[in-house]
Amino acid sequence: MEIEITINGRKRRFDVEPNKLLLNLVRDELYLTGTKYGCGIGECGACTVHLDGEAVLACMVLAVDADGRSVTTIEGVADGDKLDPVQEAYIEEGAIQCGFCTPGFIMSTKALLKENSDPSEGEIREYLKGNYCRCTGYVNIIKAVQSAAKKMQG
Amino acid sequence: MSFPNMLYGRVLKSPHAHARIKAMDVSGAEAMGAVTLTPEEVPDVTYCPRLVSIPSATYKDWKVLTDKPHYVGEAIGAVAAESEEEAQKALEAIEVDYEVLGASFDALESMKPGAEPIHDEIYLEDDLLKVENNVGCQLEITEGDPKALEDADVVIERTYRTNRRYHNQLETKSVMVRPEADGGISVWSTTQTIHNTRLLLHDIYGIPMGKIRVYKVALGGSFGSSIHVNPVVNVAVGLALKSRRPVKLSYTREEDIRDHCAYQMIFKLKLGAYKNGKLAGGRLEAYLDIGAHQIQAYPLLGCVVGWWVSLYKLPYKDYVGKAVYTNKVPSCAFRGYGNPQISWVVETMMDELAGKIGVDPLDFRLNNYIGEGDIFWGQGPSVKSIIQSCGVEEILTRGAEMVDWYNRPNPEEQTGRYRRGWGVGRGYHTSSAGAPVPSSIVDFGGAMLKMNEDGTFDYVSALMDHGCGTQDAHIKIVAEELCVTADMVNIIRADTGTTVYDVCTHASRGVYSGGGAALKVAMKVKEKIRDFAGKILDAYPHAVRIRYDEEREQAVVFAEGIEGREVTYREIAETARHKNWGTAAAVESYRQPSCPPHFTGYFVEVEVDTWTGKVKLLRVVAGADIGTVINPMLAAGQVHGGFAQGWSMTVLEDLPYDPDDGDLVNRGSVANYKVPTTMDMLDLDDLTVFFADTYEPTGPFGAKGIGEGALNPVAGTVANAIQNALGVRFFQLPITPIRILEALREKEG
Ligand code: FES
Ligand code: FES
Repeated sequence: MEIEITINGRKRRFDVEPNKLLLNLVRDELYLTGTKYGCGIGECGACTVHLDGEAVLACMVLAVDADGRSVTTIEGVADGDKLDPVQEAYIEEGAIQCGFCTPGFIMSTKALLKENSDPSEGEIREYLKGNYCRCTGYVNIIKAVQSAAKKMQG
Repeated sequence: MSFPNMLYGRVLKSPHAHARIKAMDVSGAEAMGAVTLTPEEVPDVTYCPRLVSIPSATYKDWKVLTDKPHYVGEAIGAVAAESEEEAQKALEAIEVDYEVLGASFDALESMKPGAEPIHDEIYLEDDLLKVENNVGCQLEITEGDPKALEDADVVIERTYRTNRRYHNQLETKSVMVRPEADGGISVWSTTQTIHNTRLLLHDIYGIPMGKIRVYKVALGGSFGSSIHVNPVVNVAVGLALKSRRPVKLSYTREEDIRDHCAYQMIFKLKLGAYKNGKLAGGRLEAYLDIGAHQIQAYPLLGCVVGWWVSLYKLPYKDYVGKAVYTNKVPSCAFRGYGNPQISWVVETMMDELAGKIGVDPLDFRLNNYIGEGDIFWGQGPSVKSIIQSCGVEEILTRGAEMVDWYNRPNPEEQTGRYRRGWGVGRGYHTSSAGAPVPSSIVDFGGAMLKMNEDGTFDYVSALMDHGCGTQDAHIKIVAEELCVTADMVNIIRADTGTTVYDVCTHASRGVYSGGGAALKVAMKVKEKIRDFAGKILDAYPHAVRIRYDEEREQAVVFAEGIEGREVTYREIAETARHKNWGTAAAVESYRQPSCPPHFTGYFVEVEVDTWTGKVKLLRVVAGADIGTVINPMLAAGQVHGGFAQGWSMTVLEDLPYDPDDGDLVNRGSVANYKVPTTMDMLDLDDLTVFFADTYEPTGPFGAKGIGEGALNPVAGTVANAIQNALGVRFFQLPITPIRILEALREKEG
């Protein structure tokens, strides 16, 4: 199937099998390996990307369903060498240990802050409950989201 | 990662828990164009994938591909094809004829006479051993006079059973192997030790070591699951050597959960105490369910007794440990290496004993803990040293004050639906496996450091960092010693060819032991810088001093009090180059002379819903003695993560088996393996972490480790809090809602 997707701002065309996952397209064909495979069944959130600005699990989306739409991966978040405030906050708060869950968390955090620029701790926990982290116990991640929210409010 | 001309590998795994392969037909897969690999095509070498202990302590029973699988998921063949999908299709085209054998899924059942033998013969070094009653290895130790225990006023004896936990590290086990034109291979893999990976591949495939390059790559969590060389690595090397093309092999989550897990342990513990609040002695029987293969279970038997006897002073101690084969996924280290398991048991029984003799459980701990000046067995009977820094008292008394410990609830006075309880627990872990004399555990590391021509430094080490902040700490140590800022020290990407040996990132040794090597090498380089500076300044090298000059963004060497006699690192490096003095560089290996315990203590408040059996966290106070705190934010992060893992060990995680087919009851689905989410942990305000004020004389700038101690006491603490809420003790993990409801029904009807 011929499809056209805008990936991180660039229009690309692909010829894919109908059962191809967006996750595999992004990783294996575009080499955008910041999007991670953690489970393949929608449990861990490591594969979170934005589809038309909304957070989705790339392992649960078919590439053909992204046809004509725009996909943002973690690689599209920074402005050149300048990190996004959410990325900065994750680094500053020590929210990254092994870092494997981080791209997914950052994509979810950005989606959260777009919907709700000043979330309470409870709202943050609720929104991020589909993102799994084995290293941090989530403490510094929650702090990072709070600090990113402050940064973005200026 | 990917390479041009790369193939994708897939592993053919046994669907049976125990079987003999009578025939394997790969012609279907080959007809599809796939490269296949069968047990006859890999070297007939029996090995142990973990190489942290010396050969005489290492039992060997693994094959790259086996024709007698011992668990569901064991590798029996492999294919490589142009895509993952084609590889999978080829895998399905392989036909295997099995003779299915009897199997056993419980350590105690496995030891019974008449149980199906899982391995007939295994190796210890080069000696063939007969396995009896499925006991892979065992260890017995007795110290002190048994009369001490006989004279005790109170004795408790109980059996405890821990859960079977899966690391669930976020990155599944993966490898990329590229065959090189000179007959060698390059390897990128999920590993905590590049040098031991090279050693093992050399042993199995006979490739000269210099032609095996194992590269450091970022690791998506590991927690002990890649101290041993993961099976995918050895299989992928076989595929790459046969196909002469790069091969990538990544496990799916469903494969990964059938690849490794933590040791499930059964303990029979007897502890005695006197009315005066002192412990009299104890006896421990430990049965380790090791699964189908040994991943150095023998040193673990030593650690289990070491962890046990190093918590509290026991005038008499008697220990029997047995590592028992079952037809399950092989068990390996998981953060704490048996310490969380035995600490849960001891901390549970300490509370019970305290109650029986009528002392407060906190005071009972303060009365009996092993601390400064005491002998510490840390990593087992062959690794003894004297404790030189200890913050146990500070942790327990400061924590008790913060939570108003002595006014905690009395379980007998609680009746309603929701009941609250506070628990205390303490523990420790070794920082490395260092000791003043050689032991059966290899523990040394190394590093290289050189000054660049602009006065910055390049640091090269084989030590892996899997997210614990190890590299960051090394940089700080080097920068501190050389009086430069951390961003002037670069970490250079490295591999086995460009680094000196480092055993492994495990045993909370990254900062203490690896950092020790970093400090040693920095001191050597500093000495050379002083020599060069001495020549330039016409000063005595031992008399010059060094400071950092913020304006010049350079370290400056100067002769104090003599104006104008100063020179920057950059000028020193430039002069050394122009005058052909050479580079200020050093390479060093370093073995720590001890393995000081880093101590931790927790106070946890829970609320139990007696209608649903659910346990909710209300408050946590964690204290840690890690010597000098090199990076408070990262160290606290280790405590947060350790607590979360301990919490889920206590109330969530387990991997039961289906005895009918020998597979996991959850069929490999992580959707049915419970781990905590953001919703399960407590609010930021309810968690307090503090550090004791101590200094470890043997550590780099006084530092000790933290990774594992953060986890070890958690299960015991949470279990004690549940007991304080309900007045019920649990002797099996995890403490699930169903178990709580059953226990309440029994108690209250
Ligand atoms: S890989 Fe998509 S949710 Fe885990
Ligand atoms: S930082 Fe390792 S899984 Fe989150």
